[in-house]
Amino acid sequence: MALRSGQRIDAAGAAGFVALMAALPLAFDSKYLIGILTVSVIYGIWAVTWDFMSGLTGRENFGHSLFIGVGAYTAGFLNTVYGANAWWSLPAAMVVAVLFALLMGFPTLRLKGPYFALAMLSGAVIMQRLMLIFWEHTGGEEGINGIAPLIRSQLGFYYFALGCLAAVTALLLALARSHWGLILRAIRGDEATCQAAGINVTFYKIASLAISAAFAGAGGALYAHYQLQVSPQLFAVVTSILIITMVYVGGMATIYGPVGGAILLVLLTELLRNFGEWRLMVYSCTLILILFFLPGGLVAPTWRRLRAAFGASS
Amino acid sequence: MSAASLLEVRELNKHFGGLHAVRNVSFDLQPGEIVGILGPNGAGKTTLYNLLTGFIAPDAGGSVRFDGRPLLGMAPHRIAGLGISRTFQLCRPFVGMSVVENVVVGALGPRREPGADLQAQAMSLLEQVGLHGKEQQPVESLSYGDQRRLEIARSLAARPRLLLLDEPFAGLGSGEIAELSALIRRVHDEQGLTVLLIEHKLHEFMRLVKRVIALDFGEVIAEGTPEEIVRHPAVVEAYIGRGNEIAQEGTHAA
Repeated sequence: MALRSGQRIDAAGAAGFVALMAALPLAFDSKYLIGILTVSVIYGIWAVTWDFMSGLTGRENFGHSLFIGVGAYTAGFLNTVYGANAWWSLPAAMVVAVLFALLMGFPTLRLKGPYFALAMLSGAVIMQRLMLIFWEHTGGEEGINGIAPLIRSQLGFYYFALGCLAAVTALLLALARSHWGLILRAIRGDEATCQAAGINVTFYKIASLAISAAFAGAGGALYAHYQLQVSPQLFAVVTSILIITMVYVGGMATIYGPVGGAILLVLLTELLRNFGEWRLMVYSCTLILILFFLPGGLVAPTWRRLRAAFGASS
Repeated sequence: MSAASLLEVRELNKHFGGLHAVRNVSFDLQPGEIVGILGPNGAGKTTLYNLLTGFIAPDAGGSVRFDGRPLLGMAPHRIAGLGISRTFQLCRPFVGMSVVENVVVGALGPRREPGADLQAQAMSLLEQVGLHGKEQQPVESLSYGDQRRLEIARSLAARPRLLLLDEPFAGLGSGEIAELSALIRRVHDEQGLTVLLIEHKLHEFMRLVKRVIALDFGEVIAEGTPEEIVRHPAVVEAYIGRGNEIAQEGTHAA
């Protein structure tokens, strides 16, 4: 019974969060706010997908921007070069991102320690360079412009992105709480013991990277259809680092925490615009303080405390 | 005889550079047997386990068959999937998880019973090994002896046909050793499980196993009943040195 009431509180929390996010643009009616919320929701998708693979298995992926970039470029190419309907972008971006995950995963996931992180980082950097080298096809520094919007209304697109975030989070949360998630956490604990238990560790790592990449790529396609252009900057290492920071602030390996982490950090970036040149300084100091005093993150532990309070009172 | 063997090891060799860690090792395990591998530190016991379970590839030329199937070249998880469970000399639990979660993961391999309640099975295994009441604790909070029990519960959760225990008594007090060996004897008796265990201590071990294979410098130096082994001149020499007599009881090579 205790468990069931906990699940009810979780469901209520999730519904409350989606309702709040849906109500915010109605309450303020500002295109600027809708823009910020859309970006924060897309970052939320990226942070959740990062956490599913890297948070659970402990194999930190420093090249998540690779999947985001290939997803966005797939959308750009399909839409502008081949004139495909914008709705093809999402499934196509997922397929291409999965291909890149397999390409990167097979050789690199056998590596231990920091080597996987470095290999993924290199993959993203190489793709960024390739976009510049083959500028005749990729548009070089300019990237691809003139991508058609997915949904004409800005608010409609925001609601669609919010729905995607909710669906991806629900799916990955369900996977993380199943035996699949248990195996991923066991891989983090000790790979050799997993093998001794008959678990095909390589399969689980590569499949999880592919799942993570698929939705990150879809997020990349969403971003392309929001910005209506793509540029090599999408592959930048800072994007991956920013996503990792969002996961740390949200609470590693909790899946739902990084959603909050992403929204908080995007909002914080906007709020600090007034600080001008001091912005990065304040931003970095805030992050250091959070990571130093709250090693378990900010969002997930706060929710756990709230949950306990609700559980005790009901 | 060898046609009915559960495990058949022939001419197994392993070199690490200039070190010949396992040297022409051959032996058989019959179904339902409980056999010990004895040898001083560095005799090649753990290397032998790593060869049998696929964690290390042996030199070319030998063979290992489990229930008639050749094992060499198979990945560790495939070998485990055939029904060979092992423990590790240094406990290697899944850190960051609870005790019961550790055991459930042990049951998630290919030998999982479809539709089985893995949580309930794990709880009952934990009760059997004496970890009742500690199911929800983080695994890091267990004492060393309890971690050894957990290793055994986790390897039993995979429903093995052959259990390979690597120094299950290492680092335990004598009371804990007696309890743990009673547990091993019980799972052997009740489930007809074939058990191979490594030890370098003689005492508890000698009462537990029916047959001993003694190793030294990677080589089988003697094979027989525990009583024969403690008197065997090659074993005495390996433990005490040439020209000494082994004390009958409680000898321990440190």
